[in-house]
Amino acid sequence: MDDSNEEFEPLFDYSRIQPNDVVPLDDGLDASPIICPKKRKTSEAEVEKKGQDGNVKDAKVVNCDDDEDEEDWLPPPPKNLDNSSKIHKEDSTLKALRLKKQELASFAQSAEEVVKAVEESVRKDLIASLQSSPNSAPMQPLEPTHERQKLVISIQDKKDGPKQFRVYMDDKFERLFKMYADKIKLDVKKLVFCFDGDKISPTATPGSLGMEDDDIIEVHVKT
Amino acid sequence: MSGGIARGRLAEERKAWRKNHPHGFVAKPESLPDGTVNLMVWHCTIPGKAGTDWEGGHYKLTMHFSEDYPSKPPKCKFDAGFFHPNVYPSGTVCLSILNEDSGWRPAITVKQILIGIQDLLDQPNPSDPAQTEGYHLFIQDTVEYKKRVRAQAKCYPSIVI
Repeated sequence: MDDSNEEFEPLFDYSRIQPNDVVPLDDGLDASPIICPKKRKTSEAEVEKKGQDGNVKDAKVVNCDDDEDEEDWLPPPPKNLDNSSKIHKEDSTLKALRLKKQELASFAQSAEEVVKAVEESVRKDLIASLQSSPNSAPMQPLEPTHERQKLVISIQDKKDGPKQFRVYMDDKFERLFKMYADKIKLDVKKLVFCFDGDKISPTATPGSLGMEDDDIIEVHVKT
Repeated sequence: MSGGIARGRLAEERKAWRKNHPHGFVAKPESLPDGTVNLMVWHCTIPGKAGTDWEGGHYKLTMHFSEDYPSKPPKCKFDAGFFHPNVYPSGTVCLSILNEDSGWRPAITVKQILIGIQDLLDQPNPSDPAQTEGYHLFIQDTVEYKKRVRAQAKCYPSIVI
């Protein structure tokens, strides 16, 4: 009898229709008898004997599983779609933002240009007014002094070690030379200053010679 | 890659030189006509030591660095025909610390090379001659040798005076 039952069973046995993976889900729901296919077969056989209700229940359970499956498997695509559409929306908003940013940047640039132009014109006016009215001259030199770059230069003679001097990058060397000559109590005309083997012109500046902090000037005394 | 090492080291050497170097010496990388700097060739000046026959001379020397520097020493050249027992007719200086197989060490600085050559000027090494004329006069005719040295010093006047 069992054999004949088993022969028919495959037609109604959902466990065979369903993928094995799904079986564990049954445990969670109810269907405690479904632990392994063999037991299930016997239990279902019993159920068949008792009546169709049991089968219906089983079928329902399986269907529920299917539904659950569908819920598990199907929902993601819509979500993905939602996400992608969101991304598209974000992209468009980002684009809009970028465009606005560019606009603002161009505004800022044009504003800067305007400011520059204004500054230049003011400067020109200032220079013109300074040239015309010497009274305001003291005001002008004050401004650049804030920007003037300083550097430390060493002057090295034959005997002693280097002596350090703080000078302006755009200051002519004649001022430094005079200062040094006074310090060593020698006529500045008797001194020759060299940088990198070249004589330094009194009208040159540290900037014009590309000097850096701690650069050495050599001083030679004419004989 | 080794070229990167050579240039990096030479940039450091130049930086150190600008901040500290002995009086009267010059050492600067070659400036090309287009305004760029060639770190691999340096134009130097070595002053003759005071109190010697070399005094008053400011001897021009060119240092040629290879891509293998500082594994290998630079080639140091005076003008061709420079009068000195240890200078080849081409002007190349023969000195132990400039010999890869002898005294060269990668730690030797440009400053040390130049001071070494300044020492060599007044203290030739007769056991390692590089030219016949300078060597023979140094060995056989000290008076003529000194005369030649002093005459040469006048050919390399200081730019100052």
